[in-house]
This record gives sequence, structure tokens and C-alpha cells, in this order.
Amino acid sequence: MRAAIAAMVLLGVAVVGLQALDDRARAALVPQEAAADLLYVQSPDVLTRASLSYTALVADLYWIRAVQYYGGMRLSNGEKKYDLLYPLLDLTTSLDPRFDIAYRFGAIFLAEDYPGGAGRPDLAIALLQKGLRAQPGKWQFAEDVGFVHYWWLHDPTTAADWFNRAGDMPGAAEWLKPLAAVTLAEGSNRESSRRLWREIGRTAEVEWFRRQADFRLKQLDAMDGIDVLERAVQMYRERAGAYPASWPDLIRAGLVRRIPADPTGLPFRLDASNGKVTLDPASSLNPLPAIEQAR
Amino acid sequence: MDAIRTEALTKHYTVGFWRPRPYVALDGLTLQVQTGEVFGFLGPNGAGKTTTLKLLMQLIFPTSGRADILGKPAGDIDVKRRIGYLPENPYFYDYLTAQELLEYFASLFGYSPAERRTRASRLLDEVGIGAERRLQLRKFSKGMLQRVGIAQALINEPEVVFLDEPMSGLDPIGRREIREMILRLRDRGCTVFFSSHVLADAETLCSRVAIMAKGRLVTAGALSDMLAFQVRGWELVVSGLTDAVLAAAKARGDVMRVTMVGPARHALDLPLDPPPEKTLAALIAQGACLVSLTPIRDTLEDFFVQQVSGAGGSRFRESA
Amino acid sequence: MKVIGLVAVNVFKESVRDKVLYSIVAFAVMLMSTTYLIGQLTAGQDIKIIKDLGLASISIFGLLIAIFIGIGLVWKEVEKRSIYTLLPKPMRRQEFLLGKYFGLVLTLVINIAVMTAAFYLVLALMRLLEPGIDAVSAAPATDAAMLKAIALVVVELMLVTAIALFFSTFSSPFLSALLTAGLWVAGHFNSDLRNFGAVVASPTLAQLTRAMYYVLPNFSAFDVKSQVVHAQAVPASYVALTCAYGLTYIALVLVGAAAIFARRDFK
Repeated sequence: MRAAIAAMVLLGVAVVGLQALDDRARAALVPQEAAADLLYVQSPDVLTRASLSYTALVADLYWIRAVQYYGGMRLSNGEKKYDLLYPLLDLTTSLDPRFDIAYRFGAIFLAEDYPGGAGRPDLAIALLQKGLRAQPGKWQFAEDVGFVHYWWLHDPTTAADWFNRAGDMPGAAEWLKPLAAVTLAEGSNRESSRRLWREIGRTAEVEWFRRQADFRLKQLDAMDGIDVLERAVQMYRERAGAYPASWPDLIRAGLVRRIPADPTGLPFRLDASNGKVTLDPASSLNPLPAIEQAR
Repeated sequence: MDAIRTEALTKHYTVGFWRPRPYVALDGLTLQVQTGEVFGFLGPNGAGKTTTLKLLMQLIFPTSGRADILGKPAGDIDVKRRIGYLPENPYFYDYLTAQELLEYFASLFGYSPAERRTRASRLLDEVGIGAERRLQLRKFSKGMLQRVGIAQALINEPEVVFLDEPMSGLDPIGRREIREMILRLRDRGCTVFFSSHVLADAETLCSRVAIMAKGRLVTAGALSDMLAFQVRGWELVVSGLTDAVLAAAKARGDVMRVTMVGPARHALDLPLDPPPEKTLAALIAQGACLVSLTPIRDTLEDFFVQQVSGAGGSRFRESA
Repeated sequence: MKVIGLVAVNVFKESVRDKVLYSIVAFAVMLMSTTYLIGQLTAGQDIKIIKDLGLASISIFGLLIAIFIGIGLVWKEVEKRSIYTLLPKPMRRQEFLLGKYFGLVLTLVINIAVMTAAFYLVLALMRLLEPGIDAVSAAPATDAAMLKAIALVVVELMLVTAIALFFSTFSSPFLSALLTAGLWVAGHFNSDLRNFGAVVASPTLAQLTRAMYYVLPNFSAFDVKSQVVHAQAVPASYVALTCAYGLTYIALVLVGAAAIFARRDFK
């Protein structure tokens, strides 16, 4: 018996070692193999038929794969390719057309600027519209379409149109109609953005949306902070004839009270050569979106 | 050297799923069987006979104690080469024919293909399997499987053969054939250890027996030496006797009891003394006609009943 | 040693008598008829589809044989009590177990060899009927590289058989089939397990998935079917390494099975 246990321990170690070696060999084998492996089947119709009565379960499986694919690409140090993200989401939502989370999160993954996301707001909108075809009364999808137009495509007119549509749907949030009006009147600016995120954060059912809203609000605050500071730098230059070398110069001049920090607590950077104020490169708020200040 | 020797051989099973308790299937069996003996291992069902045989074959492992065959521990490969075993209600591969099965078993002993064929054919002849040997075993009856089982136990001309209930599943003719085969084995010098719950099997075959009950050895030795099986009297059946003659015989104390069993036919219980020959001669002189004379003694069944009712106590060990 | 061979041959004989090899006929009929049907339906891609289909069915037929015979190998002997006459014969229990294993492996290998021959025959026939067929597909119709994929399938199925045998030394056939099939499925999604570890936040969970990844048999490593069909290089070193992995894992499982089996009581 002791000999059997010793043999099993030895063989177990060999198995783990060989698997580690084999993994490396396989990684070198066919780099693009991941694509075929991940999708298995390209056509949603074929897959739906092939998964027999387990479509919902297979949909879950593909959703998990989509999340892993997206997460894995975001974290990878190599070249980030998101070309399989849409097919995975398309398969997931074809298998289970009422998979709400897959539409909403999928749209976020797709719309987010490269390299943080796929940078494909067009595909995000296509996915949400597919969701609306499957569930025409789902006002959240219409809201999300408006949001993509507003935030990623910088198109406040179309966004306002979608917010209006969402507001017309039964059971829709009451703030959608006012939001549509503000968006249309003010265009794409920080004030309407702030209003949008505040509403999303207030009404979110999912923790992720709350955190996202919080994050975007902090970004907006940081952008406002940068604008104020840059104005102060300009005033200093008008008075002193040169850009301040550092924050203490501004403090001594009485233009700011202490070394300014972004909402995450990291000090802003001051470029003495051109007077530009930026976030600390280590700040989690990077990169800031491009949204104009309120007129 | 003893052919078989066990020392305090004990086997506990754990029974019960929710509250497992050890069950004593065999309790400290110490036994010696000499070379060349035909040894009967007797007891009612559940006495521990099959457990003992499985322990000797190492199909199960003892909780404590030891078992030696031919001077080596049971399970030794060398020992396995020199023994044969017939399990209770044997069963074999459905898809093989009787001939193929015996040749397969012969191959495990390392015989050449030609030797396998001759041994298989000879043994099947010996146990009375004829043309059926070309049939797949799935088509065999219980009795035929028993015969094949005996044949396979003898495929290697074993020095010791273990037979678990060899007579079961056989008709009277089959039983007689097996008895004859055991006696032939004995004449060849083979040690035969067989289990049975039928006393008659043992009486005609065994030099010695061991009697088991409830997992324990009750007694071992020659059957004729066992007090429990001594003749207690005789039963005489006669015809053609008048009531007056019977009454006179009864008055003399020659006859203990008279039972009418038919028209002018009586069953008489005779004591051991005077000898039955004397009483019989006297009665024949008075016109009796002999129908039968049989000894009266306890049967193994009576003995079992006594043992089972006498030996109380649970076979479950109290868990502390 | 010789005993192992004798037991193995007997297992093979049993599988032949039980008409296991009929699965080959089913395979051939299926392959021929789909070939004919696909030839009617599609143009150009049919060689690829037939290759996919052929390789997949070789592995599926093999898997069914490995699991459903593997789980019954020992259980049936115990259940029908035929083991009572066999084990007292001059053999060790380990020899009995290994004999059973190699007998089923022999059955599998012969089965797959015949299916492979039929597969290449169909492909050669297609090439004969449509001479231009190689021009439209990535690899020639009767590409020898597919043998690499089939060889790895054989090693994979040997591992499945060992696992089935392992479970059947101590549990019922139903449970054994369930556990074996479960491990096979889990082993094929093993790479997901590794990816999962890369994206979860909790380090404990990441370590757990990593540990499971190494402990579970990595069946996905044996799958190079799509690579050979798309004429992508599969170096011999990869095949050799994966075989070494598989054979080591088989040895591990068999030692475990033998250790359990050697101590078992046959009540």
C-alpha cells in the first residue's frame, strides 16, 4: 500500500509537470486556435438547433465565455483584439433572447473606447436594437441606445430622441423625458452628462451601474477641477508674466488654497512649460472623456 | 503437514448505513484438515461456511487470525496453482462455451493449447457434460452450471479442492455422481474440503467433519465419535403380526411403542438392548414378515435446531 | 505478466461476442450516407465537413465504447460472481485488473483502426470521383496528418477507459458512468477553468481554479482535430508530449485502481 501511495504521488507530480509543459507547447501550436475554440459554431441558428432543449444553459455558457473573453483581453499585455466579442454576444442573445444582462453589459463592453473596450458603439447599438426587437417594451434598452449616442458618439440630438422613446414606454423611469429635454437644449455638455449619470446611479438595479456612475461623476468633477485650475494658472501668468513652476507658486499668489487633488485623492500635475493641468498618470480616472464644459 | 490450517480466523462485516455496526460472520475458527482427508464442513445457512471458504480463497480478507493452505498463507500464488475451488451457485461468462471456459481457465495455469483442450474435454466427460459443451454458458441450467463448476475446480489436478455446497442444484442422480467423484478424488490422494447443510452427504463421504453454527465452530471430529449422532434405538416395520404377539413383546420390554401404519402392518420402536436381531428373530418365528429396519438417531437438522435455540446472544458486537 | 495477456484476450473475445464491433458498421454506414448527402448539398467545402464529421464520430464512437464497456468490466464480474472462480486461479488481483484494462484498450484500438481505414477509404473514393477536390480545401483529402489527431484520440480514450475502470472498482455502473462522463466534460472545459482563474477577483478562488485545472485530466489537450483539418502544423513534439501526459495520467489512475481493488472484499 505504501508503495502504491508513493507511486501515485510521483505520478501525480509528473502529471502536473507534463501538463505545464504541454500548455506551453499548445500555446505555441496555433495562436488563432482560440477563436475557433471559443465560438465552436459561428451561426446562431445552427447552435440553437444543436443545443436541443438546453438553449438557456448554452446561452449562459456563451455569456460566461464573452465575459471571460472581454476580461481576458482587457487584462492581457499583448495586442488586444475584441473581434470575437460581438459574435459571442450575438450567439448568447440568439440562444436566449431575454438575456437582459447580456444586452446591457454587452453594449457597454462593445461601446467602450479601445483599448478598454472594443470601441464599436455601432455594434453596441445593433445589439441593443436586437434586444428591442425581442422585447419591444424594454425601456432600459432604448435608454442605453440613447446613452451610447450621447456618451460615445457625441450625438445629443439622436440621444435625446432615444431618451424620449424610452420615456414613452410603459413603466419607464420618470426622469427620462426631462433628461431628453435637457440633452436636446444643452447638447453634449458636462451638466447634462452629470444629470444623466446621477440618474443612472440613483436608479440602478445593478451594483456595477452604480459604481460606473460614481466613477463617471468623479471623472466629470476632475474635468471641472482641471478647468478651474487652468483658469487660475492663466491668471497667475497674466500677473507674473510666466507660468507657475509648481503648485506652491499658486498658493503663495493666493490663487489656490492648497495642493489640488482629483476626486481619488491624487494631486493634479502642472506642466510649467505650457500651463496645462492633467491627472496624475497613475490616477484610476484616466482617460478622461472628451466632453465640453457647460456653455 | 496439514492441508488446511486456520488459527482464530475471524471476519467482521460492517452492516447498516446510518449506524454501522460490526457483524461477526466468523468468530475465531481454529481448524486443521489433514492431507488426503475428505472433510465435511457442516452447518445451517448463515453459519459462516461460505465466509470461511472465501477467506481461504482470499476473496475476502480476515479481520484477524490466519489461514494456511499446504503450509503457505492463503492467497499465495504457489498455493493457488495447487488448489481448486467451486463457489456456491457458480456462474461463469455467458458468452463462452463450456469448452472455451475450461480452456481459458487451463491457460491461466500455463498449460499448452493442446494440453488445455485435452484437459477440458476429459473433465467435461467426467462431470457428464456431453454435446452441450459447444453451447454458450448462458443456455446452461443450474445443475449443468454446477457440473461445469466442479470441472473447472479440477482443471489443474489440485492437491486440495474446496467445494462450497457441491450437491446443491443437483438431482439425486447428480448427487450420487458427485459423491462418486469425491471418492475418486480421495483415492487419488486429493484432500477434499466441502461444505454442506445436508448430513447424509457427510455420512457417506467424510472421514471427519466440523459443525458450524452462528459463525462459531461447535464441534469437530469423526461423525461416529459424536455423541449427538449415536444410534438411540431402532425402528422396525413388520407385517402379519397379531395383537396378542405384539402385546406380549411389549410386556417383555422388547418393544417400546407400536404404531399401526397400514392393514396388518406395524411400526415398532425397539430399544438398543436387547439387540434388534434377537427381537426380529423372535417375531419372525411368530409369523412376522420384515418390511424394514432403520436406526433411530438425531439428524443434523435436529442438532442444528438444538444448537440454534441453545446458543443465544447476538452476533452484533456492541460498539463501545 | 502472461496472465494479463490471457485476461485481455478474453475481454476482447467478450466484446466481439457482445457485438461491440457492430459500432464499426454503424460508423461506416453513417459516414457513407452523410458523404453522399453532403455531396448533394454543398460545393467545395464538403471535404472539410466530411473530415470534421469523420474525426468527430471516431472519437464519439470510441468514447461510448470506452465508458459503457469500461464501467462494466469489473462490476459485471463481481455482480455475476464469475470473479469467484477467476481470482482463486494463479493470478494477482492487479494482473486481473490490468488484463481487463488492456483487453478493452485492445478492443478500442482495433475498433478505431478499422474506422480509420474506412474513413480514409471514403476520402480516397471522393478524390477519385472528383479529381479537382484537393484544390479547394486546405489539406489534401487523404491527409496523413489526420493520423496525429486520431492517435491523440486513442490516448484520450485510453485515459477515459482507465478512469471508468477506476470508478468501477468501487462504485455502481450508473455512478461510474456519471462520474466518468462528468470528468470527461469537465476535462474538456478545463481551459475555461484556467481563463476563469485569470478574471476572477478573489485570489483564493483563482488558486482553487488553478489547482483544479492541474488536477483534472486535461482532455482538451488531446483535441487537435480542427488543426489537422485546417492544415495547421501540429509538431510531432506536441503529439509526443501530450501522449506522455496522457500515459502518465493513465499510470496514475491504474495504480490507484489497483490499490483499491487489491484490498476489496468480494462478499
